Amino acid sequence: MTQLIHSAALGAALPWYPLHFVPASDLVEFLPELVVAAGMVAVLILDLFTAPGPRTRLAWVSGVTVTVAFGVAVGEWVGHVNGHAVFNGAFAADRFGLFSDFLILLVALAVIWLSPAYLQRRGLDSGEYYVLLLGAVVGMLVLSGATNLIVVFLGIELLSIPLYVLCALNRDDPLGQEAAIKYLLLGGFASAFLVYGMALVYGETGSTDLARIHQVVLHGALAGTTDPMLLAGVALIGVGLSFKVSVAPFHWWTPDVYQGAPVLVTTFMSVATKVAAFAAFLRIFSVTLGSTQADWTVAIALVAIASMVLGNVVALAQRSLKRMLAYSGIAQAGYVLIGVALGQPDGTAASLYYLAAYAAMNTGAFGVLTALSGRGEDCDDYAGLVGLARRQPLLAGLMSLFLLSLAGFPMTAGFFGKFFLFSAAIHDGQIPLAVWGVLTSAVSLFYYLRVILAMFSAVGGPDQAVNVAGMTVDGAAVARAQVVLARPTLGARTVLTLFAAATLVLGVFPAVVFGLIQGIHVVAG
Amino acid sequence: MNPHLFTGFIGLSVAMLSIGAVGVLVRRNPLVVFMSIELMLNAANLALVTYGRFTHTMDGQVFALVVIAVAASEVVVGLALITGVFRRGRRLDLDDLSELRE
Repeated sequence: MTQLIHSAALGAALPWYPLHFVPASDLVEFLPELVVAAGMVAVLILDLFTAPGPRTRLAWVSGVTVTVAFGVAVGEWVGHVNGHAVFNGAFAADRFGLFSDFLILLVALAVIWLSPAYLQRRGLDSGEYYVLLLGAVVGMLVLSGATNLIVVFLGIELLSIPLYVLCALNRDDPLGQEAAIKYLLLGGFASAFLVYGMALVYGETGSTDLARIHQVVLHGALAGTTDPMLLAGVALIGVGLSFKVSVAPFHWWTPDVYQGAPVLVTTFMSVATKVAAFAAFLRIFSVTLGSTQADWTVAIALVAIASMVLGNVVALAQRSLKRMLAYSGIAQAGYVLIGVALGQPDGTAASLYYLAAYAAMNTGAFGVLTALSGRGEDCDDYAGLVGLARRQPLLAGLMSLFLLSLAGFPMTAGFFGKFFLFSAAIHDGQIPLAVWGVLTSAVSLFYYLRVILAMFSAVGGPDQAVNVAGMTVDGAAVARAQVVLARPTLGARTVLTLFAAATLVLGVFPAVVFGLIQGIHVVAG
Repeated sequence: MNPHLFTGFIGLSVAMLSIGAVGVLVRRNPLVVFMSIELMLNAANLALVTYGRFTHTMDGQVFALVVIAVAASEVVVGLALITGVFRRGRRLDLDDLSELRE
């Protein structure tokens, strides 16, 4: 009611305001999304007026757009200690959504920063790239604040469809095309299950609004009962979201798509997509369906354990760096899922912290590969990294930091990410989750250290094979890689150093970020 | 709504979903796989409008309209990608897309 009065006052102040069915104050809460959407349209138009040649100008516009959206989001963060719902409950203006927005926008900014140099080296410089990237960002921002099943679905599709196209950015690369087809067909398959699950939940609760569903499940006719249709719906929604965050056994597409897509696109989608999809996952499961936790927590915990085991074990055998990081990403998503299984409030905060750590370290690791990718091909082979410490000491050092953080070394972001998750699991009496997490982290150390070992091993002659922890790297491939691979630009080194600094801050002063998310308010519950 | 009619519509939608899911899993032609996905989305649409009628709420019909619009945009992108991949006289067979593996 207060909202209506508020908007009436605004309507009187702005007689030209045309949307009387949407209070102007609601649009203000939606400003980060609107800024990015406007930037996307501006880039689309500006592309028409840009002479053939480098598209660096569009990168600037995109970067400024994302920065402005970030600034607006910070302003809203300050204004919302307790969040509230806007657009008749369809969207949340809360710190939970804004924190996810921060991560998504920062990753997008880093990717845009790395874009012009990479795209020009690979001959992929085009205006569509920036338009699609910003389009995907809008979808992610919508998803992280969605509090209505319709908006959740819309957000997921809005982020997925541009990503399908971005995978196929290189039209001459059959691998990229293959990746796009696989992502498209499997993504559509998962979306269909997701919508069907939403239909069942709607049928049982009579609403698509998460706050209403929460009320019905908690106090209504369904309270205290185990309704099979509702459970089936929740399970199908879980399948659809598990696909987007790529956890086992819904991960089949991940290695192929991450390997086939240009590594710059992989950097973006491996981090930002997971942050947005996990925001929806946490909101729907831990908050809206929090009162039915006993019905689904075991299933989520099993999926988490399956991802941690499968991701870390299969990553050991990978010869492609992108595939190795893809399986590592499956394992990392499994860790975040521990927080979903634990529920509110401990699990949610631990998951958010891990997502922040993941955003810093995984963007960094893929970013190093992006910065090294040269003319005609991506840096996807161990051969490209052999002897990197001698040629590019800074980059080798940064990569080592990111990988040690992914493994969970002390003094890095990954350590406190895992610490908060495992201690929350022990606190909630879910000892097996913590045990599996620790065991699989120990396994992961092996394949992360192998990359570090490769970077610090000496280069022999073209006919001398290099042995890196049980993996033989062809000497000729090493010699060739040194010619093909690029020298990282100053911009790339700057952005990677900043992400390394973030990794260290999250690992040395965890209270800085954990203080922000502890007891964070989540609307729709 | 007549309960028999309701059961019938929901049964039909479950059947459509199952046929679509089997189609995605067993057919190897990308266009047919894509059609099967559309069938699954339409199964969801049928369930949505049936539940909307049953619960006397509008959410289901609005949701179905959104799904139709999203499915249309997915088709646009999907068909463009499929033509892009298979334009060089390749057979329309998903089993031929197997270059990405370790």
